[in-house]
Amino acid sequence: MANTSTKVKVIFGDASLGLRGTNFGYIFSYDRGGLESLVQNGKEWCYRIPRPAFWRATTDNDRGNQFYVKSAQWLGADLFSQCVKIEVFIDGQSVGFPISPENNKYSNQEYATKAAVEYTYETATTPATTVTVRYTVDGTGSIQVAARYNGAKGLPQLPVFGLRFTMPTAATGFDYDGLSGETYPDRMAGGVPGTYHVDGLPVAPFMVPQECGMHMATKSVTVNRDLTLNNADQSRDTFRLTFKQTDKPFAFTCLPYTPEELENATHIEELPLKRRTIFTVYGASRGVGGIDSWGADVEEKYHVSAEDDIAFGFTISGPEG
Amino acid sequence: MKAEISWLDDPEVFRVNQLPARSDHRAFQSTAEATTKQSSLEQSLDGDWQFKFAKTPQERPAGFYDPDYDRSKFDTIAVPGHIEIAGYGQLKYINTTYPWEGKIFRRPAYALNDQDTGKGMFSEGEDNTVGAYATTFTLNPELRDKRVIVQFDGVEEAMYLWLNGQFVGYAEDSFSRSEFDLTPYLKDGENLIAVEVFKRSTAAFIEDQDMFRFSGIFRSVRLVAKPAVFLEDMTLRPDVSDDYKNGDLNLALKLSQTDDAPDAEIRVKVTDGDGREVLSLAKPVANTVSFTDNAFKNVHLWNHMDPYLYHLQIEIVTTAGETLAVVPYDFGFRKVELKNKIMLLNGNRIIINGVNRHEWDAHRGRAVTAEDMTYDMQIFHENNINAVRTCHYPDQIPWYFLCDHEGIYMMAENNLESHGTWQKMGAVEPSYNVPGSVPQWKEAVLDRARSNYETFKNHTAVLFWSLGNESYAGDDIAAMNKFYKDHDDTRLTHYEGVCRNRKYEDQISDMESMMYDPPLEIAKYLENNPKKPFVDCEYMHDMGNSLGGMSSYNDLIDKYPMYQGGFIWDYIDQALWTEDEVTGEPVLRYGGDFDDRHSDYEFSGDGLLFADRTPKPAMQEVKYYYGKHIN
Repeated sequence: MANTSTKVKVIFGDASLGLRGTNFGYIFSYDRGGLESLVQNGKEWCYRIPRPAFWRATTDNDRGNQFYVKSAQWLGADLFSQCVKIEVFIDGQSVGFPISPENNKYSNQEYATKAAVEYTYETATTPATTVTVRYTVDGTGSIQVAARYNGAKGLPQLPVFGLRFTMPTAATGFDYDGLSGETYPDRMAGGVPGTYHVDGLPVAPFMVPQECGMHMATKSVTVNRDLTLNNADQSRDTFRLTFKQTDKPFAFTCLPYTPEELENATHIEELPLKRRTIFTVYGASRGVGGIDSWGADVEEKYHVSAEDDIAFGFTISGPEG
Repeated sequence: MKAEISWLDDPEVFRVNQLPARSDHRAFQSTAEATTKQSSLEQSLDGDWQFKFAKTPQERPAGFYDPDYDRSKFDTIAVPGHIEIAGYGQLKYINTTYPWEGKIFRRPAYALNDQDTGKGMFSEGEDNTVGAYATTFTLNPELRDKRVIVQFDGVEEAMYLWLNGQFVGYAEDSFSRSEFDLTPYLKDGENLIAVEVFKRSTAAFIEDQDMFRFSGIFRSVRLVAKPAVFLEDMTLRPDVSDDYKNGDLNLALKLSQTDDAPDAEIRVKVTDGDGREVLSLAKPVANTVSFTDNAFKNVHLWNHMDPYLYHLQIEIVTTAGETLAVVPYDFGFRKVELKNKIMLLNGNRIIINGVNRHEWDAHRGRAVTAEDMTYDMQIFHENNINAVRTCHYPDQIPWYFLCDHEGIYMMAENNLESHGTWQKMGAVEPSYNVPGSVPQWKEAVLDRARSNYETFKNHTAVLFWSLGNESYAGDDIAAMNKFYKDHDDTRLTHYEGVCRNRKYEDQISDMESMMYDPPLEIAKYLENNPKKPFVDCEYMHDMGNSLGGMSSYNDLIDKYPMYQGGFIWDYIDQALWTEDEVTGEPVLRYGGDFDDRHSDYEFSGDGLLFADRTPKPAMQEVKYYYGKHIN
């Protein structure tokens, strides 16, 4: 492979766009409608495709002030929004949606400085709106992710807007550069900036499981795992994936459960075994509130309007970090 | 006197043969004992008692207190502890509505009609479980040939007491210490003490706190021997001069003596924090003895940052030189004032960085341990919490001493909450409110104020007396306020419920207290010629994942001098360790998890701590904001 070390190899598949390089291989699926495979150093990081995140497990305050009723549509959107459009960009130029026979013109020796796939998701809401998620990959395997929510009049306030990854196995822990503890837009003054290690995937044991584990104002976070689902890989050596800020710090949660799993439990012991890592990066989150738990709204400046656009981004580091 | 079960139905009967409430000092036989805090005048009755549970008063083992009664079929139960946690009686959590909601129709006696005596309401209550407790004791040698009283630190919610088959007395008010004189009934050798505990009485209407509803002897029980001369009560008044430089100690003592008591004198000694003697006085014993106007020049004041205490030691010594009793008591000099509508401590504006603290232990319910208290105090210090409201009842006595020593400002609340009589589905509907202005309920609530005042009047940490919680307002609560005012001009009174009935606002509460008022509403109050300084007796409802928006309250502190902070609701989640019915694993369970209905379910979990006492993630926010105005 001559002079390709800074370029990314592009596989124009019939059901996906493959992007490969030294110690990485990514599959952007057309039929699944998202990033189906993210392999670095031989380890898979995607169990299912990342999906736009709109819901948070109802907090006691959300229940008390009826936010969960008013914004119930976003639960459906969180579960059921679907991919409606896919567009591929090579070195910044759109090549449309290059499936067969259009892709017959390519070879097994296609390289690009940058290749990007943009997925458009339509929300299961009334009215419906769209979210775009664009992944731009360079020759080092670094993935720049840009997500955009398109505001639409008439939609109820959002619990959150983010991008949720489902990793095949439970993380052994994570390390991040951000604020201490668990922080929210209206509860982050007490967070002390620093680098922190968290063992395992702790779930704050609220009596009724609910939204938890948010880390605001994060510059980078590395998820550590030591187990794959690959039958040919019995190693328990730790391997890592790092998410870092592109321009601005981001918020994230790293939990063993989806918001829907948390939502459904009345006690922590009803939650399933910790099998996966549910890792979500957020561009926006509603505050948790605190005035009372039977009607007081979250202060207005901590609402997330669904009528305005929301854009955010972050970068997944390539295999060399 | 004969015990009458009808007392359970009568709001005018709430203490029978109980000794008057008095200071919570302890007595020791020697200075050495006083140093180690092990008093040979006391004999604990904690431990396993014989026990028989009955589902209703009619099924109770009548006459079980008789020495000849066959109690061989009785179980045993741990004292202190709750009957329900021991496995008898259903666990239940409920907030506002009464625990019999949907099962029994009840209205408080005399509330709707002064002919309605409530006869049979509780004495024949199908939900009124009964615990028959019995144990035997032989007096320790140090207690023999002395007058002996028994102290019950907490029995929920009505108790009858017998010694050796003879009726001694009756008490309500689950959270105040009840004392009875056993001397006339004691005998040599083994004595049989028996207590019949009823889960319900008229007290149920005024003990409707948002909590698990328990019954039983849930705090310690002990015998206390009184030497021939005994310090029954004392009132310490460590006053501070107007320029906050000098102290002035006044002591009023009440003593009792046996007929054959030897001549004795009272010696009063005060040492400072370094052990240097700063006062030494003596007077002959009399029924009342006062030591007035003892100047402390350049006195070292007490506050949160510097909880400096002086050590008072009172000794009763016979003319022959025999020490009969030693009573130690640590106290501080501090001055609470309301000046220009701002509450001051030692001349400085008070900022309350407070929490409401229910007594809670996930294994033991409200029967908290000394370890729990020590731990809680450490949590307070780590997170800049400088104040506690004893919601909504008096706590165990050691907690007050701990607060003195650790500089925690106390809003000492007496045992009263009756929101079920006036809050209906969130609306204010006081048609059958008690105590209200119902005359037959007045003495019961006044007694609760009196017990609270008399027991805790010497605690430096107590800056505020609180008249209870969410009980609306009327003549009876106004009388409680008057009681505190008549007896104590060194502290301020607090009561939130008066904001529901403004007619009484000039008679009740020195401060404007609201709960859960949004910051914007508080600002409105403070900008419209407010009458009183403002305190949030409950705010930042920390249910589940909450505590957002604290900065808006913090801003009020900076902007309005009359805003004086508040008490977060609340300190710890109320959940109980139990065994998972499927896996057998230990799990924490809350309201409704015991098939208890009607319930308020997870509303029992509003703490800064999870029920297992680990802090919730939100705690760092408390530490941050409370650290901004710590004083």
